[in-house]
Amino acid sequence: MKKVLSLALILVLSLSLLIGCSSNSTELEKIKIGVSPEPHAKLVELVVDDLKKEGVEVEIVIFTDYITPNLSLDSGELDANFFQHEPYLNNHVAEEGLDIVSLGKVHIEPMALYSNKYKSVDELPDGATISIPNDTVNGGRALLLLEANGLIKLKEGVGVNATEVDIVENPKNLKFQALEAAILPVTLDDVDGAVINGNYALEAGLNPVKDGLIVEGGESPYANLVAVKAGQENEDKFVKLLKALQSEKVRKYIEETYQGAVVPAF
Amino acid sequence: MAGLIIPSLLETIYMVSVSTVFSILLGFPLGVLLVITEKDNIWEKPMFNKVLGGIINVLRSIPFIILMIIVFPISKLIVGKTIGTTATIVPLSIAAAPFVARVMESSLKETPKGVIESSLAMGATVPQIVLKVLIPESLPSIVSGITLTIINLIGYSAMAGAIGGGGLGNLAIRFGLYSRKTDIMIASILLIILLVQGIQFLGNKLSKLVNKK
Repeated sequence: MKKVLSLALILVLSLSLLIGCSSNSTELEKIKIGVSPEPHAKLVELVVDDLKKEGVEVEIVIFTDYITPNLSLDSGELDANFFQHEPYLNNHVAEEGLDIVSLGKVHIEPMALYSNKYKSVDELPDGATISIPNDTVNGGRALLLLEANGLIKLKEGVGVNATEVDIVENPKNLKFQALEAAILPVTLDDVDGAVINGNYALEAGLNPVKDGLIVEGGESPYANLVAVKAGQENEDKFVKLLKALQSEKVRKYIEETYQGAVVPAF
Repeated sequence: MAGLIIPSLLETIYMVSVSTVFSILLGFPLGVLLVITEKDNIWEKPMFNKVLGGIINVLRSIPFIILMIIVFPISKLIVGKTIGTTATIVPLSIAAAPFVARVMESSLKETPKGVIESSLAMGATVPQIVLKVLIPESLPSIVSGITLTIINLIGYSAMAGAIGGGGLGNLAIRFGLYSRKTDIMIASILLIILLVQGIQFLGNKLSKLVNKK
């Protein structure tokens, strides 16, 4: 009899505990986010606790491919993803007919303009030669960086596919030398400046933040963004997520951990 | 479009013609050496022959895009620059020279052994045999070999875009293929075809002409 009583007591207690728990968790909004391992997962992990305090529970799912996170987001298995940049998103949306949009940008592995001869863009003389990558993706990206810093103006609407023939205004009469992206650092002495991808620059001992005359930031379409289903971008939990990822804490972490290889894009 | 194609055409002609000259200057003597230092030939040096053959094979094995970067110090020394159309002539010449050496080797080997032996019997020296027998005897084949080299160089020059060489091949790749400007791609490829056809035609004519001794 005693046993039965105690069992009943345990049952009642655990039941109440369970109810208490579930009622508690309904207050937490959930976000299941698909991310790439580095630095995306690290950045989200950094804000998980802060978001919990704000009533948002984040579940991180790590992906090592670039297709499934978008397909899973579109089908509703994920609530958000964080691994891609805008041109990739646009391309994937167009190809697969996905219904997803950008929530906001977080970080970028920056391209930058380097020079062995000049310390700032203002010093660049009239007619200076600038080398840029010769493939369409990186060449266009380099020109967009120069345009964002007022060195040139590109034909309206060419966007990421810009090549040097699309330049409509060139006040400094810059000359462009398109080269294989990987040899840009090696040939830096032969030009007045070179726009180099982050990975190639770092391999050559150039640091975007320390050595770059101009560096990509939030204005670049190549910044990594958080994507959500179209129409959900104003939902409270996503607003909180973006705010957390664009916080000073994340900025500091990026700057300290990646030393210029990754920079904040907000 | 003409604003893109004409400079590219000129770049191709410039790169290919100058590097043809240099690759022949470098490669032709090597071809001669390959032939005469061979075992049982007029200036027998089997060890030297093996080493030279080995070096030529090594140079021919290096992918051109890598060779272009390896020779940067040489370009810097000769041209003062590592990138641009003129600087591209250095790797083009160095890439084509071993090819020229092999082509010339097989051309010179066509000279009948009997002719060489009778010259030797008449007391001709090695330089005399090379200049008065070997080269004149194989001239038609040498001309064909040079034609082959020029066309080969046009092919190589398409990759010169990597180091800013420009040219029609680069135009077809960068603006035609990558940026999907089909008209530019077709126009530049047509021009390359015309160039190749024209050079082959002239080469064949010239080869026939020198054959009528």
